[in-house]
Formats: sequence, structure tokens, C-alpha cells
Amino acid sequence: MSETLDDLGVLERPEASTPLGWLFWVCVGWLGLNVLAAIFANVLPLVDPLYQNYNVVNAGPSLHHLLGTDDLGRDIFSRIVFGSRVSIAVGVGAMAIGFGIGAPLGMMAAYRRGRFDTIVTTVMYVFLAFPAIVAVIAVLSFWTPRSLLKIILVIGLASVPLVYRVIRTATMAIATKDYVIAAKVQGATDRRILIKELLPNIAPIGVSFLLIGIATVVTLEGALAFLGLSVNPPTPSWGNMINESRTVMSQNPWLVLFPSLALCLFLLCLNFIGDRLRSHFDVTEVKL
Amino acid sequence: MSEVPLLEVRDLAVTFETAGGPLPAVSGVSFTVGPNETLGIVGESGSGKTVLARSIMGLQPRARVTTTGSVRLNGSETVGASEAELRRLWSTEVAMIFQDPMTALNPVMRVGKQIDETLRVRLGMSRPAAKARAIELLEMVGIPSPAQRYDAYPGQLSGGMRQRVVIAAALACTPKLLLADEPTTGLDVTIQAQILNLLDDLKDRLHMSVVLITHDLGVVATRTSHLAVMYAGRIVEFGATRDVFARHRMPYTRALLESSPRVANPSHTRLAAIPGRPPNLLTLGEGCAFAPRCAYASERCHVERPPLSAPDAAGHTFACWNPLTEESR
Amino acid sequence: MTDVLLSVRNLTVTFGKGAHRVSAVAGVSFDVYEGETLGLVGESGCGKSTTGKAIMKIVEPTSGSVSLDGADITSARGRTLRRLRTRMQMIFQDPISSLNPRRRIKDIVAEPLDCWGSATGAERDALVSDLLAKVGIDPVVYGNRYARQFSGGQCQRISIARSLAMRPKMLICDEMVSALDVSVQAQILNLLEDLKAEYGLTLLFIAHDLAVVKNVSDRVAVMYLGIICEIGPADVLYEAPAHPYTRFLLGAALEADPDAPRRSDVLEGEPPSPLNPPSGCRFRTRCPFAQEKCVNEVPVMRDVSPGHQVACHFPLVDVQ
Repeated sequence: MSETLDDLGVLERPEASTPLGWLFWVCVGWLGLNVLAAIFANVLPLVDPLYQNYNVVNAGPSLHHLLGTDDLGRDIFSRIVFGSRVSIAVGVGAMAIGFGIGAPLGMMAAYRRGRFDTIVTTVMYVFLAFPAIVAVIAVLSFWTPRSLLKIILVIGLASVPLVYRVIRTATMAIATKDYVIAAKVQGATDRRILIKELLPNIAPIGVSFLLIGIATVVTLEGALAFLGLSVNPPTPSWGNMINESRTVMSQNPWLVLFPSLALCLFLLCLNFIGDRLRSHFDVTEVKL
Repeated sequence: MSEVPLLEVRDLAVTFETAGGPLPAVSGVSFTVGPNETLGIVGESGSGKTVLARSIMGLQPRARVTTTGSVRLNGSETVGASEAELRRLWSTEVAMIFQDPMTALNPVMRVGKQIDETLRVRLGMSRPAAKARAIELLEMVGIPSPAQRYDAYPGQLSGGMRQRVVIAAALACTPKLLLADEPTTGLDVTIQAQILNLLDDLKDRLHMSVVLITHDLGVVATRTSHLAVMYAGRIVEFGATRDVFARHRMPYTRALLESSPRVANPSHTRLAAIPGRPPNLLTLGEGCAFAPRCAYASERCHVERPPLSAPDAAGHTFACWNPLTEESR
Repeated sequence: MTDVLLSVRNLTVTFGKGAHRVSAVAGVSFDVYEGETLGLVGESGCGKSTTGKAIMKIVEPTSGSVSLDGADITSARGRTLRRLRTRMQMIFQDPISSLNPRRRIKDIVAEPLDCWGSATGAERDALVSDLLAKVGIDPVVYGNRYARQFSGGQCQRISIARSLAMRPKMLICDEMVSALDVSVQAQILNLLEDLKAEYGLTLLFIAHDLAVVKNVSDRVAVMYLGIICEIGPADVLYEAPAHPYTRFLLGAALEADPDAPRRSDVLEGEPPSPLNPPSGCRFRTRCPFAQEKCVNEVPVMRDVSPGHQVACHFPLVDVQ
């Protein structure tokens, strides 16, 4: 080239992402532990969560029963571990359905616009106008017998419009960028643009929303269980355990404390990780 | 009277605390502006020209910013001045207009009210008097049918009209100094000419001084009496505008002049581009900041920063070890 | 003159419906000859960018036709259109937003090749390295960096490299230097001239800066409120503008020269709203020479000298 260029000595815009920090990894570790425990609950040396030992009813934490026992003499620690299976399955499963349907629709609608967008968005907004929680309660009340799969399905479908709206808005902000137009001009197919140009830029928003979504669904499962609309007892879930414990709260406060703590920590970690990831991947948020 | 400069900047330095270390946005800047004078400050992005303007106004945030040196506005110091003291100076002594007029106006407030407010608060005018004066000001800046435009919202006006409103608001309390930071950059060519002519007229009518900050040498060429060229936070050349254009000594000034395309040149004239790009202020070395891009740089330029030369009879000064001469220019 | 490469006929682009209907481009016709640079200049809102986008069919033209080398673009769809577009590329105003911040620059430059599978493996990498080197970016050192790490000028270089990957015949440059600093702008303009010669490119250079347009263009077209009011060889048009608008536009241009004459005849007022354009000549509301005829009759393009045409009832130069 005719001109020499020494202007690339220093990159103008160095990496300016927020460090994730040690607390992030503590949270990841805790979540990992939760998930592993849930998966391998059967092989772990745990007491049967349904076994009722009437010799130790409403006992506090001890060596035999790490977190004590409930009013039927069942081991709380074991029930929390087994209960996490339901909570995590509902959270992950429902969000898988919500994202599986909502995210592609949202991306397509925002990228193509036009009639497709108008129709899908109108339908989604009609659903959004209807309070999702009431719908979920109503469906679950009548659709008996309840099973884990039905609960996942109902919550998952109810979350589709929310996911759709978030992903569509995020995609719209990116679909008008010059680099998307440039890709079109170079002859990229719509599918290629969606995967190569849009997806990587929406993914960070999607992931953080996904984590917060799982947290919300786990809470929702707790609320449903509290209303007696989750998996049928005696199957433990965090929500079920909290629900059952409310009658004996005064005699045995451990019974409400430990499942609540498990739920709380789980949600806290999810929200924290989601928030951290969002600011970490936010490359537009330049820090001086 | 004219012995006392209206604006006197001495050794002004502004340093930002950043994650990457201290960032010297402005260093060792000194200049004066006399009454009814127009000073142009020219520089590329990152040259510190906007930070300089904000520091003169005292608008720079205090947190994580260190400002040293002195800025005297009609005798009053603004560096380290209290908020109350600055408020007294703003709009009566000095006012500023910005590049984007939309950010300077409240989008949900009628434009007339925005001018009114200043008049009532600062000058203690009554409501009807303020309104009458506001309409007068709108007329002065060339807004057609000002009485109707008084009730318009900023969004209903074009970019050029908005900038006129901003000028009217800035001049409401007849400041003695107007700082204009890229006042025409977002505007169309024909509108730009209108606004610059308006500023020029107002300067004479109101006996103001104007500091015109821009990246565009075309804006300052015929409209300023003095010109300061900034590079990497420092003034590298200062003098009467005509002198700086015709007898510039600093190679950067020359490079800036030669790299901008001219309407007067035939098409396909090869531009004398400056290689490289403005330096990273975080990693400035000991030498002249322009040395890495300079065709005249010698060994000394890379290790020792040239100070501003002693001004000649016309007040022309420059910071260069190997200044251009009649022959080399 | 050589062959016509790009031909635009009666192009119109209309946005909105009913009372909000705006003709951003209201019937534009011009030819771009092979190997030349046509500058398209005008103020904001005159429709110059929309014209560029409509040519690429990024916005759908409402009517009219665009053909490249005889192939009709306006009626092309699907794969045919995508194929046609590779022969005509576009460079955008905002260098930062032109590049996907999450992709490595060598992948960005290779994108057109990957789309078409026209080069793979070592051949692809060699082509990409060559393109990056051509625009002054060291492929070995910087090829693996992400686009978000580069400055505006560098991003514009990468955009140019990408646009050349498929060896297009034509480049449409939409305000490609207006976001850059003066010194960087000169580098990019020089680079563009060099590459134009090397690759035998034809350029449509859209910009608002008169000096920049003149610097790169062989011919210049001036747009006002959705129509072309004058078109001619750059040096002739700047020397002796035939349309009053061109004259005022040139008069308003600021020269970096303290001895440049200060024009006192500044154009008054602002462009009317394209929602409700004036009857007859669109410039008549601001034109000091406007007469009865200008209100009633739309001026048609006519020759004032060879290759120099103007749409004005009372041109400022003698009609030959």
C-alpha cells in the first residue's frame, strides 16, 4: 500500500469487560453442587426421603440427620436433595420449552418484520395481557392427575410470550445494525444472518434472561406447591416441603428454615450469575 | 479596560482517574481572550478541546478529575470555585452552546419557557417581561414568527432552529463570553453557514467574545481573530488566524491543513494524509506527542517534549523542535 | 464515454401511508459509467442515502428500475438477487456498527467467501490475508482480533476489505468518511482511490461534504428534496454551477483558507417538508430567482453543455 500505517500499535478499544469476580465462581460452584446432587441423588448415601422414622420426629440437626427430621420423622437433608430434582427439573424444563418456542419466534419476527411479525406479536400480546399465573393455576387445578411433565409443560407454555417479547426486543435493536445489512448485501442467506450475526449478539441477553427465568419458575413452583398444585405429596419438592411445614412451624422451625434456605440460595446464585454475565458480555458498555 | 483580558487561562491541566491510570486530557494550556475577540480552538477527537471548554465553564465533574492551574473569567477564578460562585458566573459572564442542540433543550418543555426561566431566575424579571424578552431573543437569533415558536416544543423544530433556540437561551443574560463547542457539526452545509454568520453578527451586536471550538478548519478560517491548534491535550500552535494558516511552524498544523480536501482543488487531488492516528493519552511518552506521525521528527522529538516558543511580535507561538521555515513550508 | 455499468431510471421510494406518505426519492434517473466515480451530494433528508439503499434493494423501491451491467436488480428475488448483490457492494457511514463486534476480523472479511463457498481452507485464508494487507491491516497480528477492538478508521478499512472479497465491479459508499477525523479521513480517501485503480472499481460516492465529493468524483449529481437538480463533470459543476441550489450549496461550503471569499449570499430558510413538497420546482420556495413558471411547471432535465444537465427553468449558465 502506498501509505505506511503505524496506527495499529495500540488497539484503540481494549477489552473492557467487567471481571466476573470470585463471588461469581462461588455461585457457579454452589449451583453445580445442587445440580450434581439432584442428578446423583439415587447413588448418594442418603436416607430414603420417604422413609418415616417415628423414633425421631421433629428432631433438630444431629449427626444422623444433618438437618433434622420432619413431623413424620423423614430426613430433611435427604428430602431437600431429592426435592431439588423437582425444582430444578421444573425450572430448566419449563425454560427449555419457553426458549425453544419463544426465542426462534422472537428472532424471526424481529428480523423479518412485516406480516409475520404483526400476527405473531399480536397473538403473544393477547396472551401477555392475560395474567399467566392465574392461567397456570386454573389449568393445573383441572388437569388432573398432576405430574411433573404436566407442570413443566404448563409453565413452559405460559412463559413463551415473555421470552418472545424479550428476544424480539433484543433482536430488533441488532437487526437494524449496519453489519446485518452488510451481511445481507454480501449474499448471506436469512438463516446464516440469524445464526452468524444475530445469535451471538443476542445470546448474552438470552442467557442472563434464561437464568433469571429459571429462578422465577423455581419460585413459581414453590408458590404452586404452597397452593397444593405441584407434584403430589409425599414426593418432596422445595415448595411442597415449605408448604407442609407451615402447620408445624412453631414446634419445628428447622422444617421451614432449611428448604427455604435452599431455595433462597439457589435463586440468589441464579440471579447473581445472570446479572454478572450480562454486564460481562456487554461490550457496548465501555468503561473508561 | 482592554488591558484586562476577558478570559485568562494559565497552565490549565485536567487529569481523569481511569482504570488504566491517570489520563491527562488537557495539559499546560495557557491563553487569553480579549474583549470582542473570537478565538478558534481546532483539534481532532481526543485532542482535549471539549474538556478544555468544560473546564473553563467549571462544568467538569469533581470526582475522579483533577484540575490544576487557573481560569480567570473577567477576574473571577473558576478552577475550584464553589457551585454558588459558578452559578453567578454562568449566563451573566459566560455561556456555552453544545454540538447537539437536542441535549441542551428539555424535550418536554416549550422552548420559550426554557428561555423565560433563565431570565426570571437570573435577572428577577416578571413573567410578562420575561416572555416579551424571550420573544425578542428568539427574533434576534433569526427565528421566523417568534411569538408562535415561543410555544413550540424542541421536537417540533428543525436542527438549525433548535441551535438558534439554544443560542437565544445562552444569550438571555448577555454573557460577555460565549463558548461554542462544535456548534454546527450536526447541521447541513447551508444551515451551518447561517448559524456561523449569526454568531458573528451577535458577537458584534452584543460586544461578546467567542471561543469557537471545532475539528473543522473551514469553520475557523474566516471567522476568528486568533487560533489555537490542539493535539493530545496541549496547544501546539497559537497565533493570529491568518498567521497560523499562512505561516504555520508546527508540522501538525500543516498536516491538518493539507489533509482536508478543498472545494477549490481539482477533483482527484491526492490528499497529504497524516499516517497513523492520534495517540493514546494513557501511554504518552516523554517526547512530542506528534513525533510518531511527524515527517520532520528527529531523535530529540521522541525523548524531550518541546515547550511553546516565546511569542513573536504578532503573538505567534508553537511547540516544535524542528519548526517549518519559509523554505520547508 | 465508456459503457454504462449502473443505470437508474425513474427510481422512487415512498415511505408511510396516507397523510404520512413521504417520497424520500421522487423519480431519480442517472447512469454510472464503467470505471468512473459519480458523487451524489445533498443535504440531510434529500434522499441520497435512500437512493443508495434502493439501488442495493436494501429498501424496496416503489417504482422505477435499476440495472447493473444489463441485469435488472429491481425485479430480482431470492438467490438471483443475492448473486447480483455480490457484484455491487456497499460501505456504510458508521464504521463501528458496520462490523459485528463479536466476530474476528478475518472471519468478517471472509464472510462473503463463506457465504458462497467460493474459497475454502488455505485459499480462503490467503485471500483474506491479502485483502487485509491491501487495506493496511497486518493480517498476522490483527486477523484474530475482534471487530470491537478497532478504531473507526480501522473499522472502515476492514469494511472495505470485506466489500472487495467477491471482486465486485461497483462500490456504493454511503457517507463512508463523515464519521472520521480529518487526518484519518484523508487516509481512507486515498486508500479508496488506490483500490479503485487496482481493482478497476466503479464508485457511487454519497456524501454531504462538497469538498470530499469533489475530491473523489469524476462527475457529481446534486440532490434536493428527493430529486436530482443538477448533474455534470465535477470540475465543471463546481466551477460554473447551473442550478441556483448548487450555487448556494457551494457558497455555503467552508474553505480552510482565511482568504477565501466570505459569501454574503447565504441561502435563507430551510428545506420544506418532504411530506408536502412545493409544486413545480421543488427548490422554488428558497430560490431568489423563482418566477411564476417555477410554481406551475416541473422543470425537466436538459443539457447545458455536453454531459452537464440541469433541471431548472432559469439556469445560471448559458444553454449551449
